[in-house]
Amino acid sequence: MLQYTLRRFLSMIPLLLLISVVVFFLAKMMPGDPFAGEINPSNTNPQYIEEMREKLGYNDPIIVQYGRWVGKFIQGDFGKSTVYKKPAAEIIAQRIPNTIFLALTSLVFTYFFAFLMGMYAGRKPYTLGDNLIATYNYLALAIPSFVAGIVAIYFFSFKLGWFPFNGSVGVGIGEGTWAYYMSRMHHVLLPALILGLMGTASYTQFLRNDIIENSRKDFVRTARAKGTKESKIYNKHILRNSIIPIITYLGFDIATLISGAVITETIFTYPGIGALFLESVGRRDYAVMMSITMLLSFLTLFGNLVADILYGVVDPRIRLD
Amino acid sequence: MTLVTDQEVLSPKTPKKSPSPWVIARRKFVKNKLAMISLIFLLIVIVVSFLAPYITTKDIVRVDFMKISLPPSSEHWLGTDTNGRDVFTRMLYAGRSSLTVGLGCMIFIVLIGTAVGAISGYFGGKIDQMLMRFTDFVLMFPFLVFCIVLNTILSGKISGLWTLIIVISLLMWGSVARIVRSRVLTEKENEYILAAQSIGCKPSKIIIKHLLPNVASTIIVQATLLMAVTIVAESSLSFLGLGVPADTPSWGNMLFEARNSDVLKDKLWMWVPPATAITLVILSINFIGEGLKDALNPKSRR
Repeated sequence: MLQYTLRRFLSMIPLLLLISVVVFFLAKMMPGDPFAGEINPSNTNPQYIEEMREKLGYNDPIIVQYGRWVGKFIQGDFGKSTVYKKPAAEIIAQRIPNTIFLALTSLVFTYFFAFLMGMYAGRKPYTLGDNLIATYNYLALAIPSFVAGIVAIYFFSFKLGWFPFNGSVGVGIGEGTWAYYMSRMHHVLLPALILGLMGTASYTQFLRNDIIENSRKDFVRTARAKGTKESKIYNKHILRNSIIPIITYLGFDIATLISGAVITETIFTYPGIGALFLESVGRRDYAVMMSITMLLSFLTLFGNLVADILYGVVDPRIRLD
Repeated sequence: MTLVTDQEVLSPKTPKKSPSPWVIARRKFVKNKLAMISLIFLLIVIVVSFLAPYITTKDIVRVDFMKISLPPSSEHWLGTDTNGRDVFTRMLYAGRSSLTVGLGCMIFIVLIGTAVGAISGYFGGKIDQMLMRFTDFVLMFPFLVFCIVLNTILSGKISGLWTLIIVISLLMWGSVARIVRSRVLTEKENEYILAAQSIGCKPSKIIIKHLLPNVASTIIVQATLLMAVTIVAESSLSFLGLGVPADTPSWGNMLFEARNSDVLKDKLWMWVPPATAITLVILSINFIGEGLKDALNPKSRR
């Protein structure tokens, strides 16, 4: 197991290098001059610009430039943001906790509602409740997350006034106080609910079908014959078997949630990685843009790895060689 | 025709020609009410959108400052937007671009995915390994992020909708390739392929004439669902202001206005119609996909 994990981890390195090549060349192809921010814009003397370009290594062969970028990247130097005039790593580190907080909260919602609905629908299939849940699933799959987001803002923020619709914390609240944490929770709740509820559909459907399938198996009949309570059969015997495949979804969710954050964070103007990424694309802040792209690619890879490993952990029948 | 029926009536024991799989599938599909309603709805939307220039005569480009943000009236059925353009007219043109992107991407993705998947599955060995490694590599990119980056690079170089169609197709064909490959892998073990090989058919002919028709049902279902996914992708990107260029209306572009809290709060007529349109179109495409999946599955009753 450990050996397999290590081997899979090592196999990520060439893929990451390939991705870094793609990201680097894409950034080179972006319109505009990636180093424009380093040069004093008021000085338009062509000689000065040429000098600065030479000094910043912009005239070197592209391979050399790539090598330099990767070398620095591995050492944790992600370059300097031309918009904020600060190291890109610092800006990203500032924003990351917000995104992770949002992703985790929405994950909790997803699992909570998916289990609730999936277990109910699986236990009472083909009833009114099951049909209602199925209808909800169809809707959740069809409504794009940004449409759900703006509708939610319209109802819950504007009409009912229950939730704030922008930022991650109220204005003028001191850090570290109780009110501060409550305010953060309050701000994250609506986006997390939207992300979470939209994500439940596939889980619910899967859990429902798996429970129905399992409830026809022999071990359930045995349990019934022994007089086990119906609730215990469903909550213990069946659920334990149906949870296995769901756990493996977790790995894929890591990447989906963080990429999905690009949209959600923009709608709720929530200061996370996704919003930062869009801003960096819009303002041609190449260092930040490249770093976030690399980061998200790494997370996708890592998520797939986690999914693969979890497969083996929860289901020993799958051989990992 | 009458002669045949007469004969059938006279001698009921003569074996009737059993319907082809496609006929069975069509019958099953027609019986599926939800899928049929969805199909009719989608066809109406497509026809109305593509005939937009003939249906309405209002100008979608000209900014009219006398008519900014008017609520719905008999002259402007769905009101006007913040630039004084008629929302109903824009809805139709927007449908045209959203559906073009959806259909265009679907065609490209199916073409690339089927080609890669079929070649990889049929030839196996080194070719298979190389192609699948490449597919895995493409699938690894976080979709939205690379879409935005590629779109920024290409926008301006290729005109209008094509940028988006190419970008989305380039990033999305991987899953189709994988599915087609796995279907081809099982299908090519059948004797009829061996027979075709032994009489000297060229590989290209075997793939196109013998393998693909048998894999078609899977591809058709995938293609339908892909159309929904690409329309969502298009509208999401346009909503972020990074998709279809701002001068071309698309449902996502129209929703872009809802990012202005004043519009979102008080000018419902500007964002409710496109939001409803996207949701209904995606919903109906999904129902059609489900219906097709059901109809093309020989094991399903109904």
